[in-house]
Amino acid sequence: MISSPKPATRSPERAAPLLSVQGLTKTFQVGDKRQTVLDNISFAAAAGEFICILGPSGCGKSTLLKIIAGFLRSDSGEIRERGRPVGKPGPDRCVVFQEDALFPWLTVEENIGFGLKKLVRNRKARKEEVRRFLELVGLGSYGRYLPREISSGMKQRVALARVLILKPQLLLMDEPFGALDAQTREEMQDLLLDLWRRLSHTILFVTHDISEAVALADRVLVMGRGPGHIRCEVTVTLERPRKKETDDFHQFYRHMRDQLREP
Amino acid sequence: MNLQRSGQPSLSWKQLAPWIIPALFILLWFVVSRAGWIPPYLMPGPSDIVMAGRDYLFGQAGSGPYAGRFLDDAGTSLVRVGLGFFLAALAGIPLGILSGRVPLARKLVSSSINALRAVPGICWLPLALVWFGIGVKTTVFLVALAAFFPIYLNAAAGARQINPIWYQSGAMMGVSYGRGVYAILLPASMPSIMTGLRLGLGIAWAYLVLGELTGVPNGLGAVIMDARMLGRIDIIVVGIIIIAVMGRLSDLILKGVLTACFKSARRMP
Repeated sequence: MISSPKPATRSPERAAPLLSVQGLTKTFQVGDKRQTVLDNISFAAAAGEFICILGPSGCGKSTLLKIIAGFLRSDSGEIRERGRPVGKPGPDRCVVFQEDALFPWLTVEENIGFGLKKLVRNRKARKEEVRRFLELVGLGSYGRYLPREISSGMKQRVALARVLILKPQLLLMDEPFGALDAQTREEMQDLLLDLWRRLSHTILFVTHDISEAVALADRVLVMGRGPGHIRCEVTVTLERPRKKETDDFHQFYRHMRDQLREP
Repeated sequence: MNLQRSGQPSLSWKQLAPWIIPALFILLWFVVSRAGWIPPYLMPGPSDIVMAGRDYLFGQAGSGPYAGRFLDDAGTSLVRVGLGFFLAALAGIPLGILSGRVPLARKLVSSSINALRAVPGICWLPLALVWFGIGVKTTVFLVALAAFFPIYLNAAAGARQINPIWYQSGAMMGVSYGRGVYAILLPASMPSIMTGLRLGLGIAWAYLVLGELTGVPNGLGAVIMDARMLGRIDIIVVGIIIIAVMGRLSDLILKGVLTACFKSARRMP
């Protein structure tokens, strides 16, 4: 998938994977000790790929995402997006956080249009675009509501819409459905898959929930703790839509659970 | 969302409760003054106060010592409070936000400002009199100085306590520094800024009276002081009531203006 069939005629930007992480290491100062939280992390993501980063809490998976987003700096290693090194946070790598990150003083509509202000100067065009994404995440009639007036599941829909509207190449998701109840979480997973199929962006999705990873990902990076490292990669070959009750699903589930358990 | 009001047409005890103590107080006052337990030169009765008040507010100017002076005094005092409060807000909000966001600025100014804050406001009065003489400038100086601290402190606290996730959200959505200040920092700290402004305005009224006690010819504080020397207790009480009402009204107006102008003042709890 990564190597292109005709490398000679392609520009290097096209041939490079959408995201490549090489030898990433991160340490934190804890008291008077330096603790390694990420040890030599390397992986690549092809354009349009859905990757889950699965690991127990404390394995540094969120830290990894924050470094890719540009909120934190790594101690060493390299992150490239289409071959170019990445720096400060930007709308090419948008994040959906686990916690509520909407601006409480803006309505749902205004939150979704917030990042668009600079990109689309024309007010009417902006409004139409906001409307389109409002419909896309199934919140058509909630545009005028304030974040505190809607449920947490709806807030995450808004959080998704406000970044998708910027057409990011890479969508970084930090346990975005972790705080939702089981039923809402499944609805959100279906919505995310539907949007991903339509908009074909690349997704890096952090989770500690094995069945969420099996349900969503093309490929799962299983991480281990102490210090955080990638244990193995699992390519999930199940057809979509995936049913959680099938034997194949359970087989992947068990495989990843064993990988996580291994000492 | 539509909030449904619980429809209660008749007056309930809850609505009456805040008025019970004032009503009892006025009743007691009536009884005491009718019975003659307290001589009128110490505390005139409520009806005398009402008469004095009517005379002060609506009387023909010149028909009595305090007749019809209200508009002139209130206007003068409003200008002093307004000017002092405006200066305090002008310095307090930017300085507060700066020291709330920039650690170096905080280190630079916060201990000095806290040291100044420990000085009781009244201590500045003699110095202000020497610097500015008796008049508008002294009053404005005192009002501005006193109102500055709550405005500054609340703006600083508001700016410091902003949820960092809002900045991260702004940064990843490609917001520039300038727009970050205008579209994230200011609205996010608006509830605290509003609290500071309202506290500052309350203090501004207190220091207005202090500044006007020093012998200026007009203003609400001056009237109170003048009435004391002439033994007109009724006018003192009228002045106190007027200052209380104007203080409350100005707070309501400030709140109204802020919520009308800023979404964040309106929409944040």
